[in-house]
Amino acid sequence: MVEIFINDSAIKVKEGTTVLKAAEKAGIHIPHICFHDAFPPEGSCRMCLVEIEGHPCLELACSTQVREGMKVYTETENVRDARKGVLEFILAEHPMDCPICDKAGECTLQDYYEQYGLFESDFLEEKERKDKKVDIGKGLILDRERCVLCTRCVRFLRDITKTGELGVFERGVRSEIGIFGDQYIDNNYAGNLVELCPVGAITDKDFRFKTRNWFLKKGASVCPLCSRGCQIFIEYHPGFARFKVPKRVYRISSRVTSRDQSQKEKGYWICDIGRYGYSYMDKDRAENIILKQKNRPAERGEAEAFLGEKIKKLIYRNKLQRMGVVLNTWLTNEELFLARKIFTLDLELEKVFFTELDTGEKDDLLLTADRTPNKKGAEEIGFEINQIEKQKLFDETELLIVFWSSPFGLGSITELLPELSKVRTKILFTPFKRKWNDAFDLVIPTLVSAEKGGSFTNIDGKVQHFDAVLSPPGEARAEWEWLVSLGKEIEVDFNSYLGMKFPYDVYKKMKDKIEFFR
Amino acid sequence: MFRLFGYFFEIIRGSVITARHFIVNLFFHTLNLFGIKTKRKGAFTIQYPEQKSEIAERHRSLHRLMKRENGKPRCVACMLCQTVCPSECIYIEAAEDPDPEIQKYPSTFLIDISRCCFCGFCVEACPEDAIRMDTGEVELAQYNKDDLMLDLDFLLS
Repeated sequence: MVEIFINDSAIKVKEGTTVLKAAEKAGIHIPHICFHDAFPPEGSCRMCLVEIEGHPCLELACSTQVREGMKVYTETENVRDARKGVLEFILAEHPMDCPICDKAGECTLQDYYEQYGLFESDFLEEKERKDKKVDIGKGLILDRERCVLCTRCVRFLRDITKTGELGVFERGVRSEIGIFGDQYIDNNYAGNLVELCPVGAITDKDFRFKTRNWFLKKGASVCPLCSRGCQIFIEYHPGFARFKVPKRVYRISSRVTSRDQSQKEKGYWICDIGRYGYSYMDKDRAENIILKQKNRPAERGEAEAFLGEKIKKLIYRNKLQRMGVVLNTWLTNEELFLARKIFTLDLELEKVFFTELDTGEKDDLLLTADRTPNKKGAEEIGFEINQIEKQKLFDETELLIVFWSSPFGLGSITELLPELSKVRTKILFTPFKRKWNDAFDLVIPTLVSAEKGGSFTNIDGKVQHFDAVLSPPGEARAEWEWLVSLGKEIEVDFNSYLGMKFPYDVYKKMKDKIEFFR
Repeated sequence: MFRLFGYFFEIIRGSVITARHFIVNLFFHTLNLFGIKTKRKGAFTIQYPEQKSEIAERHRSLHRLMKRENGKPRCVACMLCQTVCPSECIYIEAAEDPDPEIQKYPSTFLIDISRCCFCGFCVEACPEDAIRMDTGEVELAQYNKDDLMLDLDFLLS
């Protein structure tokens, strides 16, 4: 440990720490543009200049390591003048087209000008014109006028994805970022460049001109699109008083958290599948409870009564083994725990299956082969995730309860329909409006993970809690709410479902029962 | 009897007030006629729908959007007016312009005049001088509320 003094306040940091990191630890922000936690210092923007006692000139905070008894000053007249100078040089070639720049509002350069600049430019010359709209692949657009040459994007592609599609071309004032010939960016992490860029030089077509980022609200959630469970922000539009906004969710961004120390570098990024795969939250959502007997949307109580009655009938006839349940691994830990309690422990069913896992290609950085968020959780709760047995599921089944929106790995809808029609009562819990919903007697709308609270257990066995970000559409309620009321309805173990009003109440029960979640 | 007295008393009192106004105004108008300047001016009436009073130069009235030289809207859909609007009466949707010099233009520009409080913040906020409130139109009443929703074509014309 080394003791240093930043603005006369002492702080102890590890040996080898840079001044910038030490100041951050002491709660002092030193402005920086090219420095990023995930990379080694580059020192190309010169924004982080600080005064160190005994040094003849100003030093870079991002690349200077601490020394015992070092005295650093971050707010002296000299430092402020130097910052202003650096900003003036950066802004000399900056086009100042903030009104049409998607980054405006979260732009580092904008913020620093507000905080440290506020000068009238001394440059009288015309600004140099460069290409404003260069396609660099994967829906990314490069604006060379806005670029401040921090080379974060180049370093990201070189160090993190190891693909190196971007490079700095030419020298001096003519230097510019570009791709090599026609080798467009094509990797699964390209979306991070937009977030990484401190200015609006790289923007993506998916978000480009859709809205301004100060209209959006951020909600913390966990990405449900693969078993890695990256921490994300869901950025959604709360809407205007008088005008309808075309969609709710506008983009997904990564949430930097102190995850496992071993994973710390990876915590900054999310993959493009998670980043651009958010359209399911707004598309074809089921909003009403549909009871086939009646030709109108049913009430919640009616649906619960219908469901309870069907199960109770089977209990009285002692034919519970004629009931089949298909679960999935998109459900949260809490929901799977409730499902196991109701179907396996209370009702002692044999036919509890899981839908086929959605699999894809794995990559080296984050994306896993298993594209469902909670397989590990289901295993820890006590389910065995086996291949679904079609014969066993449909044999003599009178009541079938399905969670999820597509034929669960048993071929196409048309193949499955004759089998389904043999089952007397079919109940579907689904967040989506799909063609095969018509085949069910009762369709209950449920929520996607962005709209409900709960927890997922990721592939490394880490339990990550999240809260609801979006409001539920129409009548839709979370699966755990339906399962709690179902548990009350069947009256096998009524008392244990009392007092389950939030997902965390369920989780507390889980903690008592299962060692893994303690 | 007493009530009847009160009734006539009020009528007489009203007539006295009217008469006082008439005489006072007549006095000042007469002075004015002979060119004698007084601090107080005599009141006068404008026959409104036929006759209109002049609007001050710095007034704020119905909005209009400015055009570029080639007829396209000057607005770049930066949505600052929408952001600053205290009554949330502006709604803009942006679209991509093929010209890389312009890049962004409004495909939808709605102003809900029924909500607008004519504060003029949108004009202050506009970085392109694209929106102005100097049309001089102040008679904005409509029979149908939907007609108070102004769209891009109307605002440009």
